[in-house]
Amino acid sequence: MAREKVWKDVIRADALEKKWVTRVDFGVRKLAVYDTPSGLYTSLALCNHGGADLCDGYFDGHVIECPLHQGAFDVRSGKPICAPTTRQMKTFETRVHEGMVQILT
Amino acid sequence: MAKEIVTPLTQALSEGKLTREELKSFMRRSDWPALRLLVVWIVVLCMTSSLIYMSWDSWLIWPAMFIHGIVIVHHFSLEHECVHYTVFRTRRLNDIAGYICGLILVLPFKHFRYEHCDHHTYTQLEGEDPELVPMPQNLGQYLYYISAVPYWRTKLTELVRHVFGRLTDEEKRFVPEVEQKTIYLEARLMAAFYVLVFGYMFATGWYDLIWYWFIPLLLGEPVMRFVRMTEHVGRPTVAQMHENTRTNIVSLPWRFLCWNMNYHAEHHYASSVPFHALPRLHEKLKGHIYVEKGGYIGAHKDILTQLFSKSEGK
Repeated sequence: MAREKVWKDVIRADALEKKWVTRVDFGVRKLAVYDTPSGLYTSLALCNHGGADLCDGYFDGHVIECPLHQGAFDVRSGKPICAPTTRQMKTFETRVHEGMVQILT
Repeated sequence: MAKEIVTPLTQALSEGKLTREELKSFMRRSDWPALRLLVVWIVVLCMTSSLIYMSWDSWLIWPAMFIHGIVIVHHFSLEHECVHYTVFRTRRLNDIAGYICGLILVLPFKHFRYEHCDHHTYTQLEGEDPELVPMPQNLGQYLYYISAVPYWRTKLTELVRHVFGRLTDEEKRFVPEVEQKTIYLEARLMAAFYVLVFGYMFATGWYDLIWYWFIPLLLGEPVMRFVRMTEHVGRPTVAQMHENTRTNIVSLPWRFLCWNMNYHAEHHYASSVPFHALPRLHEKLKGHIYVEKGGYIGAHKDILTQLFSKSEGK
């Protein structure tokens, strides 16, 4: 039976880099939390193409670009938007609750 | 889940060579620096084209086409920047400019993008870097590479192979399976474009494009081979970015032509940094990278010195 997803704390909201991407260690996973014009979004931090850390990449609006090959994803959906990325990026539903950024996992 | 790799950039950040705030400032994009530069670029192209026009009935047309060709082949530098999406902030503009440069140079943009990604992953690693130019073993090999004959043979064979729907095993390593058909389509559209261009010239008897485009491209390509050799050739074939890549200090006209790609080690450290910020990144990283102060000529002196010392050692 599938485990029911629960909201888990990731980082304090006031610790995020404003209008940029923040790296967060979350257990064994590395997450990238994005502060965008339409709110917060979260994805796995490693690019699913080459394994580089997206948190060192260029972030513009809703687009995160890999620092190694400049492949890019829309952080709202995880959709790849240009080569060499071709696969959907893993994203998490994100909210702010009592000053904490939380993801549903 | 992708296996984590440590990029030179992540390493530079962790070693304190660069702060996160500095990186963010260097990576900032804008459409305007490239649009301004493109205006100058077009003016320069008009000027070099005028040289051909003015020397039409004399032998001077050949040096004029060579000079024009030097500018034409530097569309490679623009295409290369577009591959990294660092020319314009508007991503679509990078694609448009990249595809146009690809048509000018017979260098399909998307295929180059995939190939170049592997060059950044495996820079200077023998058997893995698809763009590795081997250190010549003798003067003959050196001159043969600069002649651009092997370059054209490789590129034209590649185009024909893609038109016929084939990729080599090496290409299959860096072109994802879902993108293979796009690569074939790109090559077919490009081939169709040249058929149309030549068809039009034959049909109308208007052959000016041969003199203003194709011959200059052939005459100029050795200059691009000469420039491209300075980036990695003669540097150690190791993974360490501060060793395997050469930054060349060159004069303003050459920096203009190559879109600051003479700051090549900086570019490999942080390929998300746009061309206009590379001189500032150079000031930050110059103590941590290999810099050739003698520019392109200095780099070739280094290559030839290594080549001759190898020959003498035999």
